[in-house]
Amino acid sequence: MKIELRNFTKRFDGQAVVDNVSLTIESGEMIALLGPSGCGKSTSLFSICGIHRMDEGQLLFGDKDVTNLPSQKRNVGVVFQNYALYPHMSIFENIAFPLVVQKADRATIRRKVADIAELVQISDLLERKPANISGGQQQRTALARALIRRPDVLLLDEPLANLDAKLRLEMRSEIRRIQSETGITAILVTHDQVEAMSICDRIALMQKGKVVQLDKPREMYANPANMFVAEFLGNPPIRFMPAELHENQMIAGGAALPRPQHLKQSNLPDKINLGIRPEHFGPQFGNEISGHILAIETQGRENLYDVALSDGGVLCSIQPANDHLNPGDTIQWGIASQHLLAFDGQGERI
Amino acid sequence: MKHISWLGVGFLTPALLIVGFLFFAPVVMTAVFSFTNMSTATGISGGDYLLSPNNLDEMQAHGVSQKTLDALADTTYQVDDHGLLLLAQEFGTEIANELKERHNNDIFKNRGELERALKDMKHRIRSPRDRKKAADLFGTSILNQRFTSKVDFITAVIQTGAVQADIPAVTSVAYTGWQWTTNNFKRLFSLPATWRYALNTLAYVTLTLVFNIGFGLFLAISTFYMPEGFANTFRTIWFLPRILPPVLYVLMWKWFTWDTGFLSTILAPLGIPAQNWMMQTSTHAWVTIILINGSVGASLGMILFSSAIRSIPASMLHASEVDGASRFQQIRHIILPQLRWPILFLTSYETLSLLASFEHILLTTDGGPGKSTEVWALAAFHTALRNYSGNLQYGYGAAFALILVAIGIAASLVYMRLFNFRDLVSKPRIER
Repeated sequence: MKIELRNFTKRFDGQAVVDNVSLTIESGEMIALLGPSGCGKSTSLFSICGIHRMDEGQLLFGDKDVTNLPSQKRNVGVVFQNYALYPHMSIFENIAFPLVVQKADRATIRRKVADIAELVQISDLLERKPANISGGQQQRTALARALIRRPDVLLLDEPLANLDAKLRLEMRSEIRRIQSETGITAILVTHDQVEAMSICDRIALMQKGKVVQLDKPREMYANPANMFVAEFLGNPPIRFMPAELHENQMIAGGAALPRPQHLKQSNLPDKINLGIRPEHFGPQFGNEISGHILAIETQGRENLYDVALSDGGVLCSIQPANDHLNPGDTIQWGIASQHLLAFDGQGERI
Repeated sequence: MKHISWLGVGFLTPALLIVGFLFFAPVVMTAVFSFTNMSTATGISGGDYLLSPNNLDEMQAHGVSQKTLDALADTTYQVDDHGLLLLAQEFGTEIANELKERHNNDIFKNRGELERALKDMKHRIRSPRDRKKAADLFGTSILNQRFTSKVDFITAVIQTGAVQADIPAVTSVAYTGWQWTTNNFKRLFSLPATWRYALNTLAYVTLTLVFNIGFGLFLAISTFYMPEGFANTFRTIWFLPRILPPVLYVLMWKWFTWDTGFLSTILAPLGIPAQNWMMQTSTHAWVTIILINGSVGASLGMILFSSAIRSIPASMLHASEVDGASRFQQIRHIILPQLRWPILFLTSYETLSLLASFEHILLTTDGGPGKSTEVWALAAFHTALRNYSGNLQYGYGAAFALILVAIGIAASLVYMRLFNFRDLVSKPRIER
């Protein structure tokens, strides 16, 4: 079902936590609300499921205005960060709870719970109590409970935050699989950009109660709207350095570089900020920039190099692992100039 | 290590002393008292030996032989200094001196013999009536004589000619101090009033408990859904019965229920005659008692349950809401099941304290009307420490109390078992 948020504002004690946000989520789409803590993403989620009242704006599920409906009447499924399973109920009773409160008949409940348990692969755990199953299994239970009523929208609040690294990878793809199998519109709230980029169709990146950019993950990574977005996506993060634009060249990192093709317009300011991702700096791109290696971090498949430039700036480079270099070594590397991201003094993209 | 362990014992000593003196000693003393017949009449220290005419019937019931009884009832006449002094005052010194000369310390089996002896004297008393009167001055009986030592008493009994075999029984009856006995318990189990008290106690504990828990839950849940400030005010008001001194609290109830009190006054315009709403009938008394005690307990339940509800993670309540549960379903499926431990705890705690508590009943109905609200603990108090006859039966009252102690300990053991006490103290019972 298509979900539409129009001019949504939420205030706590007069302070706007979410400020005039509009967002449309297509039917069957999975969207991520991504941002640092305090950006208003969880507040948005709680407002969509009805736990918080909206101070201003409108919320539509399909054509239906649900702005003033209590959460009981909204038909939403929510997976909470701590799963919020009912400790005194068995897994079966937990999953069945939304149907029990609807007073569905026994046979229907049993059939539906069996179906959904099979989908999330916990069929053999139904008799257990939440305390007696693992974190990943609790996560699956919470998903099953959220999905059993076939909600109009599935809301996931940091669903992977409480899992260890290996389980997180597994559950990440599981959530995506289950969401696309059921075709339910989903909103994932997360502060983890990898999580958002890997499983969502689109990302709404939030900062201080506003959506800064709404785009497909690949697009947002390649074309960030501002320095905040550029820095938030990508690991290891993008590095910035100031640059001076001249007629045919630019001075950056203590070197004179040819002015890149996409920065040829004449209406640009003289002083700009350049954003360089680690994969766009290295020996394979030339030898215009000199510096020395500060630190090397080995990640198995790749090495990360922190390089101090002659003007004091620091760039990061990611390269296939090798043993050629040591900290302190002097290097002469180049930049993939077509991938340079340029920002003005306010941090906005040029 | 040795130093440290002694240090521990040292630190524990005050606590051990307090437990010993304030808890253990009273229980032991109750147990000791309950096997005695201590009362106001016997005192709690030793006693004298005294036979009264009433004791004769009692001794017969104990199987003392008729011969002994007759001997004890008999009056003997001995010419002694005490009698002679009286004789001299009434009939002149000459007669007294002559009697002393002739019969000093002689014992006469009956008055006739002494009268004859008086008649045979030189300074004799002429009138038979005076002789009878004079003879009476020498009459002594073991009855109504107080002996401070057991040896003196037994000597006197032997002198009367009592049968040797009866002496222990006679001595025991004559002793006015307290004695060891198991009669308290025999009496307790044979009197119908005892069972009445037991049933009253059962009704009191059960009904008050139901009110306590039910109303406590209602208050806790309803205040949970109220705005914070309002809920706090509300809780404070409901906490008043517990922090108010019982006497004041009960006084307010009395004002409320008196025949010229609040209830009667506001009901008067409705044509309901003024009456004592507390003591009119035993039903009135019961309702009052349960409301009074229940309100005190409910405030504790409210606080306990409130904090338990607030320790339920908010996300769990949110989850139930988005799962579609109404308020009522949320209470029934989420909140109440999670209050299982607090409810069980309060039930056991309140059972024990209600079993032993009687102050509010004492201050309101004092067991009345009739004995309809006399509960076990109050009966113990009345028997041992305050009753109308004025003979406070410490021993009998202690027997009441001892049974209460036994029930209390048994119930505690059952509850500890039920709660798996070790688990209960080792981790919080609010499930997450």
